Amino acid sequence: MEQLMIELNPQTTQPVVQVKNLAKAYGSNVVLRDVSLSVAEGSVTAMIGPSGAGKSTVLRCMNLLEQPDSGEIVIDGHCINAGKKTSPKSLAALRRSAGMVFQHFNLFPHMTVLRNVSLPQERVLGCSREQANEKSMELLKRMGLADKADQYPSRCSGGQQQRIAIARALALGPRVMLFDEPTSALDPEVGVEVLEVMKELASTGMTMVVVTHEMAFAENVADELVVMADGGIIEKGHPGQILKDPQHERTRRFLRAVLER
Amino acid sequence: MEMLKAIAIGLPLTVLVTILALMIGTVVALPIVAGLRSRNRLIWLMSRGLVDLLRGIPPVVWLFILYYGISIGAVRLSALQAGVLGLGVVAAAYLAEIFRGAISAVPKGQWEASSALGFHRATVWTRIVGPQTARAAIPAYTTFAIGLLKDSSIASTIGVSEIVFMSSQYARQSGSGILVFFVAAGIYILLSVPLGLLSRHLDIKMRKAVAR
Amino acid sequence: MNNLVDVAIEYGPTLLGGLKVSLTLTILSLALGLPIGLLFSFGVTAKNKAFRYISVFFVEVGRGAPALVLLQLMYYGLPNANITLSSMASACLALTWTTAAYSAELIRGGMQSVPSGEIEGSHALGMSYRDCLRFVVIPQGLRIALPSLMGFAVLLFQATSLAYSVAVPELMSQAYSIGSSTFQYLPVFIVAGLLYAAISIPATWLSVGAERLLSRHL
Repeated sequence: MEQLMIELNPQTTQPVVQVKNLAKAYGSNVVLRDVSLSVAEGSVTAMIGPSGAGKSTVLRCMNLLEQPDSGEIVIDGHCINAGKKTSPKSLAALRRSAGMVFQHFNLFPHMTVLRNVSLPQERVLGCSREQANEKSMELLKRMGLADKADQYPSRCSGGQQQRIAIARALALGPRVMLFDEPTSALDPEVGVEVLEVMKELASTGMTMVVVTHEMAFAENVADELVVMADGGIIEKGHPGQILKDPQHERTRRFLRAVLER
Repeated sequence: MEMLKAIAIGLPLTVLVTILALMIGTVVALPIVAGLRSRNRLIWLMSRGLVDLLRGIPPVVWLFILYYGISIGAVRLSALQAGVLGLGVVAAAYLAEIFRGAISAVPKGQWEASSALGFHRATVWTRIVGPQTARAAIPAYTTFAIGLLKDSSIASTIGVSEIVFMSSQYARQSGSGILVFFVAAGIYILLSVPLGLLSRHLDIKMRKAVAR
Repeated sequence: MNNLVDVAIEYGPTLLGGLKVSLTLTILSLALGLPIGLLFSFGVTAKNKAFRYISVFFVEVGRGAPALVLLQLMYYGLPNANITLSSMASACLALTWTTAAYSAELIRGGMQSVPSGEIEGSHALGMSYRDCLRFVVIPQGLRIALPSLMGFAVLLFQATSLAYSVAVPELMSQAYSIGSSTFQYLPVFIVAGLLYAAISIPATWLSVGAERLLSRHL
């Protein structure tokens, strides 16, 4: 349904995420050069490319875990300009709009699963403990992890930990979810359960940006595919189109390497 | 200036006590480490007990036992002998623990690879495990040596005329206690700086020789 | 051997009285020193210059100088500045300084070893700097530092034996006065040593146990 709306009036739908002319370098090592990107409401954008291409850096710049040297980021109307000093308030607002899921989960090991999901709601949204726990249990149930609520993260498998991390991010009601190689640290078999959850999330109309090496996910779930290499975007468009008929030589080389092993 | 001179007279003994105790400690630690790694329950238990006892009783008590308590016939240990010996055996216990930790920090795969390559036991120790152990032990060893430098001051309690002994003597004579003890503190801090630098230097050198 | 038992029976109560003073001194120094240590652990890297310099001074001198020097400084030195403290108070002050200095470094080390990913995670969730410290860094940092803090407490308890040099009537001082009046030095010091060991050794085991217990969720 939402898909349909976007296709009917693409002009009127304001993009949830807009990245304009992002650039970043560590000394003489340029990691991002002039990256611009826009993510439509309810769409799933997959970012692929060889390692070191700058995919994760783009994602980490989106919620300012990394400070870009120049460029502009707009998420859900909250605008951050790399040139200007960011106020803590607008930074907090931007981060509240963007939920992030890391490669290594980054759960808090000294808290139970339930506390992991509830604490940010209490501290960031100002929810009461009851409200937060209720919402957390609902999300954990949706992730199929209701029985893990009182366990510590270390007692959960990698796939379960990653789903807890997704629940933790979703609990803050983000407008967009950013996934930084969410399955790269997992066994392929375990990665599937995480991908299932992500697929389900996409079907509910959540806006998502996913840095990934899972080509099947990129092809079947994503609406938009972004191919990056050497700190820049070399190709973007419909996933099926790009995977079938890549325009750029670098894309072809990358796809051959991934698909032919 | 006069004060500095009065305190500095104690410097050689502070250094001497530290170095001798460290040497005794290092040598005595080796058989204790072997005991701590032994598969023989009895030997292990005795070594474990020895380490716990040596570390469980404050150094000053060991020094008093050696100085006031031990006499072989009419012969008693001199203050310096008792001080060095007491601090040395206590150091042995701490160093044994440090060495044991460093040996167990060498990955199991190193032993397995050495056996798979058919190395002789002695070769494994001298060429494979030994260097990696030394590398792992250096930071803790130098930290301990700096601690020992400060603990050498305990020898003043049985009358070894090192820095603290000289300081309190001077403080009593001159009546300028605060300054004297701050100067003494400063000397200890200055002495530990080169030790710290040496540690860093060795660490870097070993890191190059034994990468990881 | 018989001698040892005789001495233990005859002077046991006096020595136990001394042990009580030793333990009191240990607990007081920990109770005062640990909170100051937590403060200094932030102080040594603080942006505020005055706070940083004061913290660095107390931490470096407290760690760099032998406890014996600090004890004598407080007892024999402070009267020069017209501050005369009782022997117990000056010993307590000196050992509090030692505690604050060492614990500051141990706590800082603990907080530094909190994985950066978790701090990043709390930032990405939009948690404030203060909340990140309060809920993620400090609890875990203290948890990581706890076994080494317990190890330090054992060393501190042993260091109270040096307070005999400033006339605190603790275990060592009792043992010494019994020794010098009866010339039974060896048995008295052995009994005193065993009393120290009876506290230190189990306490060390406890700190090893704590390390295992606390790392179970990590």
